[in-house]
Amino acid sequence: MKQNYDFDIEKIKNLSQEEKISRKKNLDLFYKSGFPSKQVEDWKFTDLNLILNKNFDNISNEVNFESSKDFKAIENFEHNFIFLTNGKIISTNFDHEEKSKILIKDFNQEEVKNINPSNALALLNSALSSGGFSLEITKDYKLKKPLIVYNCFSQDLKNKILNNKNSIKLNEGSELTLIDYSDNNTQNNFIKNTVDTISLNKNAVLKNILIQNSKSNGHFYKYIKSSLESGSSYENYILSSGLKLNKIEIEINLNKDNSSCSIYSALNLLGDQHQEIKTRINHNSPNCKSYQKIKNVLNDKSKGIYQGKIFVEKVAQKTDAYQLSKALIVSDNAEFDAKPELEIYADDVKCSHGSTSGSIDSDAVHYLMTRGISKQEAVKLLINGFLNEVLEKITNNELKIFLEKILERQINGH
Amino acid sequence: MLKITNLKATINEKLILKGLDLNIKPGEVHAIMGPNGSGKSTLANVLSGKNGYEIEGEISFNGMDLNDLKIEERAQKGIFLAFQYPLEIPGVNTNNFLRTSLNSVRKARGEKELDTLTFLKLIKEKAKELNIDEKFLSRQLNVGFSGGEKKKNEILQMKLLEPKLSILDETDSGLDIDALRIVADGVNSYKNKENAFLIITHYQRLLDYIKPDFIHVLSAGKIIKTGNADLGEQLEKTGYANLS
Repeated sequence: MKQNYDFDIEKIKNLSQEEKISRKKNLDLFYKSGFPSKQVEDWKFTDLNLILNKNFDNISNEVNFESSKDFKAIENFEHNFIFLTNGKIISTNFDHEEKSKILIKDFNQEEVKNINPSNALALLNSALSSGGFSLEITKDYKLKKPLIVYNCFSQDLKNKILNNKNSIKLNEGSELTLIDYSDNNTQNNFIKNTVDTISLNKNAVLKNILIQNSKSNGHFYKYIKSSLESGSSYENYILSSGLKLNKIEIEINLNKDNSSCSIYSALNLLGDQHQEIKTRINHNSPNCKSYQKIKNVLNDKSKGIYQGKIFVEKVAQKTDAYQLSKALIVSDNAEFDAKPELEIYADDVKCSHGSTSGSIDSDAVHYLMTRGISKQEAVKLLINGFLNEVLEKITNNELKIFLEKILERQINGH
Repeated sequence: MLKITNLKATINEKLILKGLDLNIKPGEVHAIMGPNGSGKSTLANVLSGKNGYEIEGEISFNGMDLNDLKIEERAQKGIFLAFQYPLEIPGVNTNNFLRTSLNSVRKARGEKELDTLTFLKLIKEKAKELNIDEKFLSRQLNVGFSGGEKKKNEILQMKLLEPKLSILDETDSGLDIDALRIVADGVNSYKNKENAFLIITHYQRLLDYIKPDFIHVLSAGKIIKTGNADLGEQLEKTGYANLS
């Protein structure tokens, strides 16, 4: 297959000679494999090479970081924000908080070496990364309002690839609700390749919510690597419907006792949208909990994938791990693939997993229609009922209403 | 209001209704009684527009050919079916469902849709009349409801949508005596000169509370006898077997 990209480290500004050499190494490693195809086990359901060849011409990494003017903060929902264009910080606002407790700055690219040499996209990210933020919350500070990270994009990204790195660190006893809000409706094909590193210290609590705000031709890949200390809690909510292609890979390391994590996902895929959620939960310590509930609705010719692995180390006794994937297949042309995996070396654990897929209940549709509701509306009510369940555990009412509205918009196709 | 002429209905190549005639006028209450398998529920299904039936004959509802109307249009034009087995629909909030239903019907009738607050006020009033606890309204539709609660929920929907013709399919089954009385009171309080009822039942029990103008006996897909309220009591004593 022809090489469909032209990457150049010289196009990244302000690099030291040393950094250029290190980036070049990563780029050479990437070149050995190129974009992964379905022959690579981790990508067997998402043939990225094929998809990019079909949709892109000569992908380039030359990206401008000009400020985008059409940024508009969400109204009627009190929040702090970080505003990014193409991944770079343009402005921040923490008016609801004690500002000295929050450290925010541009990501220092020299800080992180490549985190996973077997992952071609992570290698590429380390070679080309520019933009991104570092956020740190000081000990015992609990943010009063959620933080929205607005991801906006310039209009000149056709056939471009963005590579960002972000890091989020919560010190002991701190708490944050972070909403990663992708605000783009561009018709341009572009790629966003992001690596997030999350570190939760003792008893820290992070809610991480991923939202796609509109339909978009973006092709997104995100790798989240997180490590948890004792008693910390990490919750993920994924509401990313609308992207042409999206793959989210979450690696969670439960490194110390009594830490817990959860992943809730509610996706309504339309047209030829393709989304994959791949998780790996490493239970590295005793008495930790993990919980995953993945819900997909597949319409039209869409494709949804869930690959979830739970790994339990020998020392991780009293592990409590749960994993459930449910798909509602609305169209005969849609597809859903699930690959649950358990790898357990401890002998006193509770691990359960399940995967179901089914179609819309026609008796339920009939019942709703006898109440004057059109078929289309009836199906929407049922889809909403199916997906809304993942928001049940959210106790903050304002946040719940906000997310319910987002989900409803996604069900209506934005 | 409803005129059925020589109705035949087939499902899975089996003829269930074999030439049924029925004429219901505004202000009337009709009861259809009959043994199991006589076609009572099929009649209810056909009138609601359920898929899968092959239909012959005429069904005219206020001058419209019912066969031309989609399921939701029948509801919008004023036909209501209270289900024998109301469905449990997980995830769908009862209040949200009721509001969507009412607003769909109002919209089709050219009336203004109700905002959330106005709706909530209305639904609370109606629920109170039927002795329905408000907390049921914020639960998932019929999920975990008892038999009686499900049936009361059907009557609540009837009173909310204000249909012209209400078909009650075995609404008395699964009801204890108190719930039966509440349901019957609900029907009686809604009954007026403009609307009509078709009550499908096995037993006389419900008819002690809702007095029918006509009782029809359905047997093997046809109405074999029509009488007044006394016919029900007679059937209770002698059973269906002695009719022919």
